[in-house]
Amino acid sequence: MSDRTRNLVVLLVVAILAALSVVAITARPTKEGLDLKGGVSLVYEARPSAFAKVDSESIGRAIEIMRDRVDRLGVAEPEIAKAGNNQIEVQLPGADNVEQAIRQVGTTAQLFFYDWEPNVVNENCVSAPTDSSVTGGPQAGNPGSGTISYYDAVLRASKCKATNEPDDLSHSGPIFYGVDTLAKKVLCGPQDTEAELRAECASNKRRIDKVVTVPRGYVVVQSQAPDGDTDQDKRARVLASDAYYVLKDDVSLKGTDIKDPQQGRSNGTSGDVNVNFQFTDSARKTWEKVTREIAERGQDQWVPGTDAQAAAQHFAIALDNKLISVPFIDFKRNPEGIDGRNGSEISGGFTIDSAQELAGLLKTGALPLKLKLISQSQVSATLGQQALNQGLTAAIAGFVIVALFLLIFYRALGVIAVAGLAVYALYLFALIKLIPITLTLPGIAGLILTIGVAADANIVIFERVKEEIRAGRSTQQGIIQGYKKGLAAIIDANVVTILVAFVLFMLATAGVKGFALTLGLGTITSLFTAVLATQAALGSMQKTKLLQSKGALGASKESHSWRIDFMGKSKWFFSFSGLILVICAFALSSNGLNLGIDFESGTRVKTSLTQKPTENQIRDALAAEGLDAPKIQRVTDDKELGGDGYQISLNETGAKVGGVKRILEQKFGTAANYQSQSIGPTFGNTIAKSAITAIIASLIIISVYLALRFDWKFAVPVLIALAHDLLITAGVYALTDREVTTSTVAALLTVLGFSLYDTIIVFDRVRENVPRMPQAAFSQIVNRSLSEVLTRSLATSFCALLPLLALYFFGGATLQDFAFALIIGTASGTYSSVFIATPVLTHWKETETLYRRRRSRVAAEGGGTVPPYATGIAATEVEVRGKPRPSRRLTAPETPEKGVSSEEFKELVRDIQPEVAVQDPEVDPNADVLPENLVLKDTPKRANMKGKKPRNRRHGR
Amino acid sequence: MSALVWVMMGIAVWHFTVFLPDRFWGGIVGAFLAASVGAVIVGIIANGLTVPGRHDTELIQAFLAIPGALIGIGVVYAIGVSRGNEVVDL
Repeated sequence: MSDRTRNLVVLLVVAILAALSVVAITARPTKEGLDLKGGVSLVYEARPSAFAKVDSESIGRAIEIMRDRVDRLGVAEPEIAKAGNNQIEVQLPGADNVEQAIRQVGTTAQLFFYDWEPNVVNENCVSAPTDSSVTGGPQAGNPGSGTISYYDAVLRASKCKATNEPDDLSHSGPIFYGVDTLAKKVLCGPQDTEAELRAECASNKRRIDKVVTVPRGYVVVQSQAPDGDTDQDKRARVLASDAYYVLKDDVSLKGTDIKDPQQGRSNGTSGDVNVNFQFTDSARKTWEKVTREIAERGQDQWVPGTDAQAAAQHFAIALDNKLISVPFIDFKRNPEGIDGRNGSEISGGFTIDSAQELAGLLKTGALPLKLKLISQSQVSATLGQQALNQGLTAAIAGFVIVALFLLIFYRALGVIAVAGLAVYALYLFALIKLIPITLTLPGIAGLILTIGVAADANIVIFERVKEEIRAGRSTQQGIIQGYKKGLAAIIDANVVTILVAFVLFMLATAGVKGFALTLGLGTITSLFTAVLATQAALGSMQKTKLLQSKGALGASKESHSWRIDFMGKSKWFFSFSGLILVICAFALSSNGLNLGIDFESGTRVKTSLTQKPTENQIRDALAAEGLDAPKIQRVTDDKELGGDGYQISLNETGAKVGGVKRILEQKFGTAANYQSQSIGPTFGNTIAKSAITAIIASLIIISVYLALRFDWKFAVPVLIALAHDLLITAGVYALTDREVTTSTVAALLTVLGFSLYDTIIVFDRVRENVPRMPQAAFSQIVNRSLSEVLTRSLATSFCALLPLLALYFFGGATLQDFAFALIIGTASGTYSSVFIATPVLTHWKETETLYRRRRSRVAAEGGGTVPPYATGIAATEVEVRGKPRPSRRLTAPETPEKGVSSEEFKELVRDIQPEVAVQDPEVDPNADVLPENLVLKDTPKRANMKGKKPRNRRHGR
Repeated sequence: MSALVWVMMGIAVWHFTVFLPDRFWGGIVGAFLAASVGAVIVGIIANGLTVPGRHDTELIQAFLAIPGALIGIGVVYAIGVSRGNEVVDL
């Protein structure tokens, strides 16, 4: 296939794919994440229960039950998925009541029926069925009737002796509480282990002086409280909040023994709301037996002539250790117990909503595992839309400024590159819709970043094309050689970016996964569009007048020559870096890093309010609901809120903080723009560990890749430069006291890839020049290499910075987080590639015997000094012929009007007989080493070829 | 956090080794490793074999890293000299 045909086929494929992309973009909806369309996100950690251990099966069952529950909430397109080994992530788009979502989705819903009087224990841990000061008598279950404080209940239960009976179903082991013995308060717990308890206390800043253990076989239950909104109901709830009983955990019936629960109304005159249900066949008999025993006990205790109800005995229904009903059995009407065939009912201060909720929970059944809410976030729809608009603005701005840069700097080539970028954007957006990838704010950051990546690939090639043309090649050959020689560096740099994106995707949390996915996908797509598509376009247009004009390609003038003694001046660059690091070390040690709630745990709320309360008013309102010492500050003209509002930071995490919006709206009017994020300590630890693992894994992968592609001595300076970049970025965060979030860590990892882009470009040219200059000192080779690629390096960095600046100035807080770290890292990466990595490589290589010897010789020739750039014999260059694997075969003379030149004829011969055509490099009699011995390990030894066609691993820019 | 400060200061000190004749054992990379490791070791020793956490890290930790880095660099320099490394002057 001729070049022309091939180019046309490629362009045809590109056009067809672009058309299909347009169809996909218009036909398929974009899947937006919660941060863009608003909703509630909950992350639970699964813990073993008495019924199941944490494994794939039990988590799968829990997810099914949660899905049923979410369906009852009426949320469209919910997503419930396993995350990591033991986490479940629930995404509820459009949901705006986080409290209801938490109640409905994550409630364990362990329902237990207890025979009341024989199970309530006194201070000696002994049941006292006839002592109304223990059981509550006729008012059993209500606050003030036999109840004791939470603290006393926990202490009472802790004095009991553990049992191991089959009906001890509430928990399979001891339960831990953290208490303050002076204040007589329970501050943390219950938790399954002491370690978890201490972690909870620490995260909520609760100072406990004792850990109290409640043994298996006993359970602390809260008294019942009505659900209504009347003042009486509210007072009863306050009373119930510190009114508890201690029960023997001898369960008569459990949630799985009932069926068909539904909200209803009692048959009596009151018409109270209740939840009625049926029993399973096996439970029916148990129910009749238990109620008969209760009735008989009431009958026995009744003294004729007295009020029968005073002697009536009770059974209790507890949901997740909270009494929801403690009815009595009328022994006169039901002396033989209650017939289970008609089912039963739970009544006790329900509202219709709460009864429906309970019926829903009972219908879907109890979760097989205990679920601990470790993270919750909520974004209102208006804020989501605003964030989306900011993201799109940043993306468009990033695209436009990169396009302008390419057009101004590369003229005709720039037009092709911009067309390539447009095609790239089409493809990527279509892929996002087709896969489909949920588009989140971090994902948008990844997209914007890849604009720079795609443009960088073109810059690397175009600079090489210009260089080839300036060196005297025709436009046609310049394009061919430019793509041929530039491809390897682009692949090297992009493979590193893809590897880092892969590490991020595997280890990061959900939000950052989106970033990693779009970054990786975008980088792969850009390889196709920026290399293949633009090459075909240029190839097809190479004989046009436009591309025949050197001026139109920006190659008419000699390129700017950087005749700087980079290695000689490296001392001063090192000193500059050293000083910056000293300042960073002082800042880090004195200020520390301002770690966000992602790592520290806590809750952050941002909201606007209709009224304009003072900070103290908000503090008081929250304190009244038990949310202590929140840090509150007014924010003005906040990008996220789109105006003024408040930022509230709380130490609390968990379900309790789900009520913040309700509290604020009750007191201060509508919270139209509301967003909250709450991270528990467990989740924070997970994030921190993942971040460290991701950084280490990325460094290892990068090292191995570079050692394989270059040489291990090239990999070490790269790692030193990367350490330099990471430390500088960390230091700048310490200096500016900017908050470190998961976005920052993701950005830091991306910096690793970006920083390498420049280093690879520089090192690649060094590698190319080493065999070409067999008599020059290593520092001279490096100086020359740097002078050749500095413009390109600066151009790629500048081009990568442009979309980042768009991200920083037009994006919201999340996008700015990414952009800030990336701007610092990219700037530092560009600097370190030239002024840290390369001098380190030079210093290291110059200590090798070969280069010591050569340096001595050059110094002797130069009168004792080594000139920065090779002169005289040292400047002698040899042509190192590449392996005979042309990227394409020569099919037409470069200038048809002149016919086939002798060089072209030789090339044709080499194409036909590759093995015969392999030529040794021209040997310079003065060289201290043969060129092929200087071509680093990438050049395969002919002896080892064994007839195989060698891979082209020699790169050049 | 202190460990990060020590490494940062160790690497900062290492940057100034370019003013010394390169006779380090392992060259400039050997000096890099020695400065980092030396800073960490002396930091740990000075803190009673502990690494202060984020909330316990103070300015003094940055200063503590300097002697460690210098000792590390000095050690690899001495080893380099004893092994006969010749000066490479760039």
